[in-house]
Amino acid sequence: MKIFVDRQLCENHGQCAIAAPDVFRMNSEGILEYEENVNDSLLADVEDAMDACPVQAIFIQDQP
Amino acid sequence: MTTPIAEAPYLDISDPTFAMQSEALRNARDQSWYARTNYGIAVLRYEEVTKLLKDPRLKQGSAQWPEHHGVHSGLFYDWWTKNLLVLEGEDHHRIRRLLNPAFSPRLLKSLVPRFQALANELVDAFINKGECEFVSDFAEPYATRVLTIMLGIPESEWPTIARLASTIGLALGVTLKQDLHKVEEALTELYEYAEDLIKDRQANPGEDFVSRLVLASRDGDSLSDAELRNALVLLIFGGMDTTRNQLGLAMQSFMRNPDQWQLLAERPELGSKALEEVMRINPTVTWVTREAVEDFSYEGLDVLKGTTVHLFTQSAGTDPKAFPEPEMNLLGEHAPHHGFGGGVHHCLGHFVARSDMSEALPLLARRLRNPQINGADEWMPDSGNTGPTRLPISFTKGE
Ligand code: HEM
Ligand code: HEM
Ligand code: SF4
Repeated sequence: MKIFVDRQLCENHGQCAIAAPDVFRMNSEGILEYEENVNDSLLADVEDAMDACPVQAIFIQDQP
Repeated sequence: MTTPIAEAPYLDISDPTFAMQSEALRNARDQSWYARTNYGIAVLRYEEVTKLLKDPRLKQGSAQWPEHHGVHSGLFYDWWTKNLLVLEGEDHHRIRRLLNPAFSPRLLKSLVPRFQALANELVDAFINKGECEFVSDFAEPYATRVLTIMLGIPESEWPTIARLASTIGLALGVTLKQDLHKVEEALTELYEYAEDLIKDRQANPGEDFVSRLVLASRDGDSLSDAELRNALVLLIFGGMDTTRNQLGLAMQSFMRNPDQWQLLAERPELGSKALEEVMRINPTVTWVTREAVEDFSYEGLDVLKGTTVHLFTQSAGTDPKAFPEPEMNLLGEHAPHHGFGGGVHHCLGHFVARSDMSEALPLLARRLRNPQINGADEWMPDSGNTGPTRLPISFTKGE
């Protein structure tokens, strides 16, 4: 699946990196980095990240 | 360009006359992005608060709270030092991962009609009088009963829950040590409540919020009974007084901005905007606490490991550098506030708080027209969390 984070909305809270550490991480500056192409087996974790994001900035572009 | 530490403005944040919304604080913010305080530093401007809130070189700063007030062991100490707010790293993330899904905004949507019904019921009880004591007639029962709805506790028990949560709230005052006995009694009673709830849902799981927590699991891991109990107590403790206080502050802000109240009555879809504006200019959590985990330098200031950093939310939310027109404006485009904190400790309950308050505000605006202060109001001290404890108002009856 393909993931998209709307950087206009993202406030770098890092909740996604807690929910789905294999997909999202915060760099040493505290800025979000993430994988855009993610194995479908991680869907449940990615959905948890989408729910947990305080500003709802995470989207799956092609729902498996 | 940073003011050297010795020349930075100084704020005595435990002086009873200290006020967040004061000339002294605005002057300090004009002079410098930070101030020295009698306890660590205070960050005053929007840009710096936004960055430091999520800076990995800082951790949540409340872990030492009991010890700073002479409490080194016991029931309260054990609860406080194991609660989500003060846990760090993987210990924090594990619990957060297990709790998060129950707070999903999709699942909370189904509660909205109950929030509306509750708000209407409370207003019905006093609307014909043309006056009310806003805290005890609306803010407190609303905040508490929303939690009982969420937790599936009979709503009739709200006064007990309110009393217990407020007693535990004494633990956040500087008189913690004197109040410790009362705090621990209330905590014991709340533990019993939580344990009964957990047992009941383990035996009869449903679709409700507590069942979701009881059933939550991830990668073969789940919350122990003690962790569930601590979490339920934290939700009651962290969700009730905050919501009550924020609603009281909202009423204060709107009484100062009657045209905005009128606008909200006419355009209820501005409910969420109204809440965001109130939390920007008049937040109940006036500072979020952080502690430096290492020595570092920020904007020319050397911050030593162990320094307490108070991030001032109201000061940041009205900083003229970020908000050239800082006044409340439901139609304006304002940058996000910090009233729910931020980073890994960002408020877990914010979707609940946002949805219940953004339902309540337009409903109140429509039904209580032209609210005015009507007698003596009473306030909590203007420190880490604030709000009215008594707010008598009069109004013209709307619908
Ligand atoms: C949840 C976080 C916290 C809250 C809600 C909080 C709240 C308060 C409140 C209500 C006061 C009383 C101020 C007054 O009377 O005007 C206070 C004072 C104080 N706080 Fe905190 N605080 C928090 C975290 C901390 C932490 C983490 C530390 C230090 C590690 C700290 C150190 C102090 C000190 C030294 C005082 C002054 C005490 C005195 O005058 O004896 N606070 N805080
Ligand atoms: C107006 C209402 C509320 C306000 C202003 C508020 C504010 C906050 C703030 C400022 C923090 C600390 C963030 C930080 O240090 O960065 C926090 C954390 C937290 N809040 Fe809220 N809150 C509210 C309602 C609620 C509700 C309704 C619940 C639960 C049902 C809740 C549960 C929590 C929890 C569990 C944490 C700790 C999260 C963590 O450390 O990971 N809050 N809240
Ligand atoms: S949780 Fe949302 S706001 Fe936070 S870093 Fe992830 S995408 Fe950005």
